[in-house]
Amino acid sequence: MRIVEESGKTVDEAIMKALSSLGVKRENTVIKVLSEPAQGILSFIGNKNARVSVQVRLEPAQYMEEFFNKVLDYMNIKGSVAVTEDQEKLNINIEGKKSALLIGRRGKTLNELQYLANAVLRRQFLGWRKMVIVDVEGYRIRRENTLKQLAASIAKKVSLAGREQVLEPMTPQERRIIHMALQDHQDVVTYSKGEEPYRKVVISPR
Amino acid sequence: MKQLLEHIARALVDHPDQVEVRQINGERSILLELKVAPEDMGKVIGKQGRIAKSIRTVISAAAMGANKRVMVEIVQ
Repeated sequence: MRIVEESGKTVDEAIMKALSSLGVKRENTVIKVLSEPAQGILSFIGNKNARVSVQVRLEPAQYMEEFFNKVLDYMNIKGSVAVTEDQEKLNINIEGKKSALLIGRRGKTLNELQYLANAVLRRQFLGWRKMVIVDVEGYRIRRENTLKQLAASIAKKVSLAGREQVLEPMTPQERRIIHMALQDHQDVVTYSKGEEPYRKVVISPR
Repeated sequence: MKQLLEHIARALVDHPDQVEVRQINGERSILLELKVAPEDMGKVIGKQGRIAKSIRTVISAAAMGANKRVMVEIVQ
């Protein structure tokens, strides 16, 4: 657990300094006032600064675990939340009965939950840069396989018919899967067109 | 649903103590009115309403699980 000590003319000023050096919001910390500021008899002599210690109560991974456990609770879903963190990503995996509710049609709800999780972490932890990936019951891997199959079958159709085909709108991660799947294909090339969130992959003859 | 909306909104704003949700029960649907501190409005709406859209999608999913129809309005 990270902890810093800071001093300032007032207790609040000391707290603000500590929070900004930690890059954490006040709600995610435990604050102890070590000493109150004291005014000297003459304005300059004998003034004493306030001193505080601020400890981070929740780091991003724990914060997200708590956040999603509450989401499940409020949705009456009995399930578990597992969070793992590496150099670039924070992975949140949710398992449980009725958790398919969190996936939605073609992963719409899941993608919106992931967008919210990313926004929440950037608000709660200043300077947070890692991607948050939210998954429910291994949906993303299943979706990846579906998209690869889709890419292969459309590519076949395009090369036979010699006419390009536009896929349905997808998220950047989903489009990337299609591009990657077909990047070495002999007969077709892929590109994207349109604006988010309606950007689509186009598969066209080479 | 009301608690879920409060929970999400509080995680997004600078003044979680000023997050209020009013639930208005209609015949067929429920209206949730979300109120936040004026300076936090942008935080729950997002660029081009992107955050608000996400909030609505998640709340609708929760509502579907409870066999209800829920609308979310962000009010001043």
